[in-house]
Amino acid sequence: MKRLSEPGKDLISRVTNKVRFEDRLVGYRMRERAGAFRTTAYSFEEVVHLLEDKLPQLDLKHLEKWIRTVIRDEELADSIMESIDQGKSDLERMSRLRMMMAERLCQCKKAGSNKDNLTGV
Amino acid sequence: MLKYARWDGIVLEGKADKPVWIDVRNSQVKIRDCSSLSLWGNDTWECQKRIWRYVAGSGTYGDWIQPEGQDGDKTTQRPAVLATGPAGENLSRMACLIHDAGNGSGQGGFGAVWGSKNLKAISVIGTGSVHVNGPKALLEARIWQKKNYAFDLDDPETGRAPCVFERAPVQSAMWAGPPKSKSAKREEFFARPTEGQRPQACVGCHAGCRARFESGLGNEAHCLATLFYVDAKSLEIQRKATDLLNKYGLNAAEMTYSVLYLRDLHEFGILGPGMGIDCPLDFTDYGSFEFVEQFVKMVAYRNDGLGENSGFGDDITEGVIRAAKKWTRLNEDLRTGLLPFPHWGIPVHYDPRVELEWGYGSILGDRDINEHGFTSFFWDAAQTDFVGTKPETTAEEAVKIYTDKMVPFEGDPLMLDYSDENMYSEHIVKLVSWHRWYTRFWKQSALFCDWRWPDFMNLRAPGKIGSTGEAEPKFFNAVTGKDFTFSDGIELGKKMWNLDHAIWTLQGRHRDMVHFADYIYSEPVVGIYGVLKHLMPGKEDGKWDYFDYGARHIDRGKFEQFKSRFYTLQGWETTTGYPARSTLERLGLGYVADELKQCGKLGKG
Repeated sequence: MKRLSEPGKDLISRVTNKVRFEDRLVGYRMRERAGAFRTTAYSFEEVVHLLEDKLPQLDLKHLEKWIRTVIRDEELADSIMESIDQGKSDLERMSRLRMMMAERLCQCKKAGSNKDNLTGV
Repeated sequence: MLKYARWDGIVLEGKADKPVWIDVRNSQVKIRDCSSLSLWGNDTWECQKRIWRYVAGSGTYGDWIQPEGQDGDKTTQRPAVLATGPAGENLSRMACLIHDAGNGSGQGGFGAVWGSKNLKAISVIGTGSVHVNGPKALLEARIWQKKNYAFDLDDPETGRAPCVFERAPVQSAMWAGPPKSKSAKREEFFARPTEGQRPQACVGCHAGCRARFESGLGNEAHCLATLFYVDAKSLEIQRKATDLLNKYGLNAAEMTYSVLYLRDLHEFGILGPGMGIDCPLDFTDYGSFEFVEQFVKMVAYRNDGLGENSGFGDDITEGVIRAAKKWTRLNEDLRTGLLPFPHWGIPVHYDPRVELEWGYGSILGDRDINEHGFTSFFWDAAQTDFVGTKPETTAEEAVKIYTDKMVPFEGDPLMLDYSDENMYSEHIVKLVSWHRWYTRFWKQSALFCDWRWPDFMNLRAPGKIGSTGEAEPKFFNAVTGKDFTFSDGIELGKKMWNLDHAIWTLQGRHRDMVHFADYIYSEPVVGIYGVLKHLMPGKEDGKWDYFDYGARHIDRGKFEQFKSRFYTLQGWETTTGYPARSTLERLGLGYVADELKQCGKLGKG
């Protein structure tokens, strides 16, 4: 997996903060006794948690668009698009996306906790 | 336990002057004041413990006790106690009844019914037994079923989706918190607690789908209670949240969806401290234990969850539908589906727009049916599609196996054609009817487990043909000594279904009331984001396959036509939905027809 470049201050803010109601992302957690359980994500981190679920259901093309237009992370959106095209199954696609998004989240949280060193946007 | 005490059931009438509990020990029945044990005000777990100690002393299972005193019979059992929690005492419409750690009589607000009667608990202990007419036949039936249809512990992967008989034991807890650490293995993200644990099963079960844990957190919890507060910041918090539901005696399904709805309204900018809907919950703390504890206590105590009066607490204790109405949100949020409560004020479970037997069965009944007999289609297709394969059995083969067993409609594969074209047809009428009738008797009365029966298709059996049809009467007759057929059970289920419907009719049910929430008629399952692939068997262009029906909604006019077809098959008047005398008399329910007639609610025919 290609390593993502270090995020700037504005991207860190968008990744680590909540999104507006109209920008929320809706997916489903598939659970044996509950069926498809609707889950609304109000932040990048909540999307990552949804992807960590056993059998997450999420429109991946919409996710790619959300990353590009709401989070405004072109680099990650491009990587996601590539993974969607290359993945042979939803399991594979979700797995790749989860790793990429978790990495971005990790970068942003780490950088966010060390704000003095931030210069980029 | 009730049966061990030689009782078949309990009918409660009227109301006590002060809080009481009922103490049943074989034939002795006493109504006792709650005050001596300080039961009123305590949670369901503490209440049970106090009653156990009172009835059985300080010993434990395995110790002999004599519930009726020194001259009475002995048992090593402890009393079975069903209790209402603080939520029921405070008349929350979401209150339920709890037995043991996590068995809930969830829907319908029964906890508050008890609360209104000043009844805290019923304790039963019996020293008798259930008479088995043919013990040898019963054991042989069990061995036959296990040998031919059950999972193989040495090869446990042979089972497929949930809700099938051959499925190996899997805990039905649905906790799925975020990873405990960055280095956690993927399995830990959604897996069950990894601490010491062992399975816990219902009496007689060969599998056991619940668990008891070393820490005691979430013991015996299962089903929707373990999906409550899915946004908790840790698995431990979520397990504690599950325990809160059971201790305070609250319905998991409604609580699960209520907290999500409140959060949506908060994010929408209209609910929160000092906002348009003034809610004392601090949503900046969402995901913490403190947040969920305050929410649960708010609903249980009808206050702000911290002990102070709160108009919001009072609203939400009435249930989210009534609260939304008071906040003037109901129509809008049922129109968009932000409030996903499709039928009778109960949250969505399996979606009515696709899982037709579930949705139609619920709206034509009185609650979320919570009967999983056909959901393995959804699971087989969803799970295999997720990993890029197809179900092991073709849709056509599976549909044939299922429908061949659905007497008296056997041999009509279109009963399981979920396509748009067929979804309002007489075939689906038969599917819904069969499901109502089968479950009324074989599940609700004969108590075959919903998680394993009916055993339609079984990958361990020759030809993949499960035991349903043969197994149910085999067990039933071994116990009762009757000569009862599978069809007899279906027919008896039909009678029960008609009796239920007559009761609803007496209570005011009319055809015009039988409709889904608005969003079911206008919004596709996939919603605005196109997220949910919902695969079910269908026959399109002459070919069977698993098709994605997630993009559809129910057509209001066509559903009305479906209702007419359904009422016709039941023998009910189509304009009102009232049962007809000829139908009731045919089922031996002539006295019910008389009562309906007296009340002006007997249908023509």
